[in-house]
Amino acid sequence: MSTEPEAPGGAASRPPLQRADEPAVPAKAPLLEVEDLEVHFPIRRGILVERTVGHVRAVDGVSLSVQPGGTFGLVGESGCGKTTFGRAVLRLEEPTAGRVRLGGDEVTALRGERLRRFRSKMQMVFQDPLGSLNPRHNVDMLLAEPLKVHGVGSREERRKLAVETLDAVGLPKSVLERYPHEFSGGQRQRLGIARALMLRPDLIVCDEPVSALDVSIQAQVMNLLDELQDEFGLTYLVIAHDLAVVRHLSDRVGVMYLGKLVEEADSSQIYERPRHPYTKALLSAVPQPDPEVEATRERIILKGDLPSPANPPSGCRFRTRCPWAEDICAEVEPEWREAATGHRVACHFDL
Amino acid sequence: MALLEVEDLRVAFGPATAVDGVSFAVDEGKVVGLVGESGCGKSVTSLAIMGLLPKRSRGNGRLAPDTEARAVTVEPAGGAEAAESSPAVPSAPAPRTAIGGEGRRRGRGADVDGRAVFDGVDLLSLPSAAMRRRRGRDLAMVFQDPLSSLNPVVPIGRQITEVLERHRGLKGDKAVKEASHLLDRVGIPDPARRLREYPHQLSGGMRQRVLIAIAVACAPRLLIADEPTTALDVTIQAQILELLRDLVESEGTALLMITHDLGVVAGLCDEVNVLYSGRVVESAPVRELFARPTHPYTIGLLGSIPRLDLPMDEPLRPIRGSIQDVIRWRDGCAFAPRCDRVTEKCVAGEPALVGAVHAHRCVMAEEVA
Repeated sequence: MSTEPEAPGGAASRPPLQRADEPAVPAKAPLLEVEDLEVHFPIRRGILVERTVGHVRAVDGVSLSVQPGGTFGLVGESGCGKTTFGRAVLRLEEPTAGRVRLGGDEVTALRGERLRRFRSKMQMVFQDPLGSLNPRHNVDMLLAEPLKVHGVGSREERRKLAVETLDAVGLPKSVLERYPHEFSGGQRQRLGIARALMLRPDLIVCDEPVSALDVSIQAQVMNLLDELQDEFGLTYLVIAHDLAVVRHLSDRVGVMYLGKLVEEADSSQIYERPRHPYTKALLSAVPQPDPEVEATRERIILKGDLPSPANPPSGCRFRTRCPWAEDICAEVEPEWREAATGHRVACHFDL
Repeated sequence: MALLEVEDLRVAFGPATAVDGVSFAVDEGKVVGLVGESGCGKSVTSLAIMGLLPKRSRGNGRLAPDTEARAVTVEPAGGAEAAESSPAVPSAPAPRTAIGGEGRRRGRGADVDGRAVFDGVDLLSLPSAAMRRRRGRDLAMVFQDPLSSLNPVVPIGRQITEVLERHRGLKGDKAVKEASHLLDRVGIPDPARRLREYPHQLSGGMRQRVLIAIAVACAPRLLIADEPTTALDVTIQAQILELLRDLVESEGTALLMITHDLGVVAGLCDEVNVLYSGRVVESAPVRELFARPTHPYTIGLLGSIPRLDLPMDEPLRPIRGSIQDVIRWRDGCAFAPRCDRVTEKCVAGEPALVGAVHAHRCVMAEEVA
């Protein structure tokens, strides 16, 4: 993208991009810090008198931190709680317990108007761009709306910013008068990204940003996310089920299973030396576009499906599907330990 | 002679051409892939072969047998011809009373042309009743979304025995026993209990297994799977692919695999056909295709995929533009507007599919090779 970074808080304050092969030295304060975040949804029964008969532990004690300018990739299969986690970080879902700090401010302590104002610092890109854009608003209105909500700029300034942002995401100025249905899937996702960028946030949570797109378009959008990160000094929390997508975008990766992190490490480490059986199984399940690799690839086929997050298995949650499970796994919940520098895992064994 | 030979298949929905002359063959016991992105015509190809498209006419202008019977001709004379002569305006006012063939001529239904020869019989010219007898018995299909393919208010046991009754004449306990055996075959634990359950009580992976059980109930010679794992999680996808691999190996079923995922293709298929904008742009045996991709679209697809087996800093090389940037095949290469290697030759006329074992439809590749 050829645009000059004109964003407030853009290039000037942008930290150097941390690459995965460098060791993660937490010299600077993390931009996003999440501590023991829990989101439990009550299960209610009864018609006249509702009583709570249990809880779905969608997110059950997840801690992580993201360096400014970094990308944290959260992977897991459907139902693992990754989307709920992302929404809880942005306070779109009310956490049951735990703390979220963004740039030193405690997001979980904010209420009412202060929370509303704070939201300009954290934005979200959704999976389904069509569902997240108002079909009756043209692009001009869609992009100006966040600015209006936060009382930023005059009409002319808002339009100027909209044009700049469109340029940054690779759309021409001429689209301002057009409506969401007139765009292709990839262009709509560009719009979704532009809208998240309008307030020049510090953090963008991308929930499955490319999974609804065709392969050739996925690559365009991933490259765009990379470029924008450099240009606007963004910090990403990328939530996805596709391990290859997460690997490409992230410098740190966490793997979630049934509401908990089971492994967290730098991207290079986790893909080269996965330590948790679930991570190993996930990685071995991804078909590679190369028949030679496919012919010799060792596949770990997991048995069965994801257990219910309302009633997770005792001990290690993964034990019911784990090919290496032993008696201890059913009795003792494995601690979240550091198996190597910067590489944490929740498993009793060193695999 | 191949088990299925599709020759010059064309499918059009009114003015929109979905499949524009697709030919390929599926040999007995082989897995053939149709690969492409949304809108390339891969699903429509499979539906046409299965006779599941709402038909309206054949290439010779004759109405399809099932629509012929229901054709209600209450239109003013000349109305149909007028509409036919201006196919670019699909919204020409249609008399609402015309619900049969004539009404379908307007915008509904598909024009299917070409041949799909299965075991010596052209499926496209079979009457509906004959096709119904074959569908589910000789050739069966598995769809992407198992929830919408199963009847939500019928227990899955009944949905399996239905096929067994119709095509294999099994009744009562015998059918139930066979259904239970089938569920066991596709790896569903506790099949006797599962038979009494409804689709919503099963997980996505289980539902897909049920669909596969229904599809293989009559030991079809050809199984068509349309994105069977796209809606599933990666660990469940691995289970289903393993099951399909196993079925092909043990039963000798031929499999036509429709997918957008080149990883799935690499691991499962013997032959691959890459589709773009309704035409095959490249076809080759699987190893040959991945070792020497020739059409710029195939090369572009491969460059767009983030891969776990390559270094992390390997940049993605996406294809520019989108599928909307297209020209008609008869004017040149439909991929030309998105191609990096485009020249004037590319838009000077219809590119032909050249080559036998490894065929491609690119005028520039001819010169390169």
